[in-house]
Amino acid sequence: MSSRTAKPILHSAAWRISLWATLAFACGTMLVFVFLHRFVADDIQRRSDAWLSGEVEVLGDVAARTPKDAVYGRVVGEVAELAGKEVPNRLLSESSENDSVFFLQAGSDGSAKLWVGAGSGEPNLRSIRAASILPGRPTDIKVQGFDIPFRVASMRMEDGSLIYLGLSERDELRVLRNLRSRFILLWMLLVLLGFGIVFYTTRRMLSHVRQITEAASRIGHSDLNARVPTTQRSDEVGQLALTLNHMLDRIENSMHQLHTITDSLAHDLRSPLTAIRGKLEMSLSAVAQPEQSEPIVSAIEELDRLDDFLNKSLDVAEAKADALRLIRSEIDLDGLLRSMIDLYEPSMSERGLQIALRSAAPLKIFADASLIHRMIANLFDNELKHLPAACTVTIKLQTEDSAAVLILQDDGPGFDPQVLPHMFERRVKGKDSQGHGLGLAFIDAVARAHGGNVSACNRITGGAQVAVTLPLT
Amino acid sequence: MHYYPFMRLLLVEDELDIRSFLKCSLEEAGYQVDAAADGRTAEKLAIEGVYDILIVDLGLPDQDGISLILKLRQRGVNAPVLILSARRSVDDRVRGLEQGGDDYLTKPFALAELLARLRNLLKRNSPPDNQPTRLRVLDLELDLLRREATRSGQLLQLTPQEFVLLEYLCRNAGRVVTRSMVLDKVWGMRIQPDTNVVDVHIYRLRGKVDGKGQQPLIRTLRGVGYVLKDR
Repeated sequence: MSSRTAKPILHSAAWRISLWATLAFACGTMLVFVFLHRFVADDIQRRSDAWLSGEVEVLGDVAARTPKDAVYGRVVGEVAELAGKEVPNRLLSESSENDSVFFLQAGSDGSAKLWVGAGSGEPNLRSIRAASILPGRPTDIKVQGFDIPFRVASMRMEDGSLIYLGLSERDELRVLRNLRSRFILLWMLLVLLGFGIVFYTTRRMLSHVRQITEAASRIGHSDLNARVPTTQRSDEVGQLALTLNHMLDRIENSMHQLHTITDSLAHDLRSPLTAIRGKLEMSLSAVAQPEQSEPIVSAIEELDRLDDFLNKSLDVAEAKADALRLIRSEIDLDGLLRSMIDLYEPSMSERGLQIALRSAAPLKIFADASLIHRMIANLFDNELKHLPAACTVTIKLQTEDSAAVLILQDDGPGFDPQVLPHMFERRVKGKDSQGHGLGLAFIDAVARAHGGNVSACNRITGGAQVAVTLPLT
Repeated sequence: MHYYPFMRLLLVEDELDIRSFLKCSLEEAGYQVDAAADGRTAEKLAIEGVYDILIVDLGLPDQDGISLILKLRQRGVNAPVLILSARRSVDDRVRGLEQGGDDYLTKPFALAELLARLRNLLKRNSPPDNQPTRLRVLDLELDLLRREATRSGQLLQLTPQEFVLLEYLCRNAGRVVTRSMVLDKVWGMRIQPDTNVVDVHIYRLRGKVDGKGQQPLIRTLRGVGYVLKDR
């Protein structure tokens, strides 16, 4: 069940629309965040730079004013340590050892004169020397033994020495990392929620379209009473349903018109035919001599052929317009073919023809019995009329892809190659055919009216083949 | 020979030509026929008189044939109706009437078929006689249980289908059956073949039933149908 429903969902328009909409939404929000992140990072940087520049100035001032005696190191060191406790963005719960700030005073010869901070200060000095730091312009440096770079501001003293104040970017990066991780979590939730909302709404909207499609496809040939479901809303989908129903109204109307025309045509022709036939029969019963009856008999036969022709033409005309009315019931094609063969076999053997049926089991279809009977009789009549003696007609009945396939093969001369491409058109017939050229057009019409089709070809081994495909339901 | 002489029949048909030949033919067949050209006359006649059977054309000038039948049914006219129609489509209401025991015939029709349908409708309304197990027409005898036919005591070699055909002819002995009636009743098909398939069956059957020196029983009436002689 799930595999059956999963596939349509992945192939549905709702799925695709949701995917694209979500993608656009995700990209957009991500872009906004990137800008926001940059802004926040720059701001933090600016703040810590301002702090660094301010502190280094204070320290420089303290260092300049403090006499260079034994307590110099202690005074400056304490001020530097105090400054380290006012680090911006600092996490309070951290260990007492402050490794996020260092203070370094280097002499003009480059040797370290005073060091306040974690470690010996040697690697810091090496890194500072490697990166030429200009006073007043805080710079990032990478120090051996620390994963996170330091931001270092410097100041030149009057005695030519340089003081450096370094601030680890750890806290700054942690703030940004926190920001990122929270955003990603929120972003994923938003994207999922967005996808859900878009998918739900489009699916709901498109499910109505699907209902319309299903209803429209159910409204088959000749069953035009049904209409597609409509909604109260007047959105695009509602409009689609309304437009479809209007179209169906018009089609039903023209179909009704066509039925009226064929009905009145049939009525107008059949009424005089009935009167003529009745009169002919009456005069036939009054005739005593058999030779006198001959013209009357042939007139009656002509009249019956005319009636048959009228019925078939109207059937073909209606079928061409998809307007043939079907009265469906269950028919066993296997049984029907057997009685049809039983009916035609004497006439066939009289003409030296053989007939063989290859059908394994009963094959039930849901179709118009009268039309199917007449269609098969037509196929048999064709063989009977056109095959020369000593030929064999083989009839095969089989099921292929939920359709019944009826194949008539013979080993006769086959179809006239010139006629073959137009076989199923009205009034197309072979040179020697005596019929009215409606037979195959009628077969085609009946098959089409049932949602099937007919194909005709000449077999490679010689002879003609007609294949009729009819859906089982 | 007719089984139902002096049956009273009401014919409702607006076309003068059809009405007159039908009246003539039906009277010849032994019915007492009253004819009406429109619905109102028919209604009056049907309610005032007593009819055993009605023939109603669907396309009447003043009202629809089915409305007329339904109206008559409401007024207590229960005689069976044979509906005639020249229309292509069979109305659902007609199908309803068919299920209610009435019959439907499309124009143009063979007179023999019309008469057969009338007989069937009348038979339906009369109490069913015991189903015979044997049929006898002159010296032809059919055993319906053993599916065997004998002529003058001689067993006939018939195929099952030929037996069904002969049985149908025997049941209608003395009456004409048409090709389409044979196709419908014996093969269960409502078709109009362009070829003489039924003739060939009749020809073969005749060859078996009518031996040399015997009175020919099965006759082909060209343009009309077939008949099994009963005298």
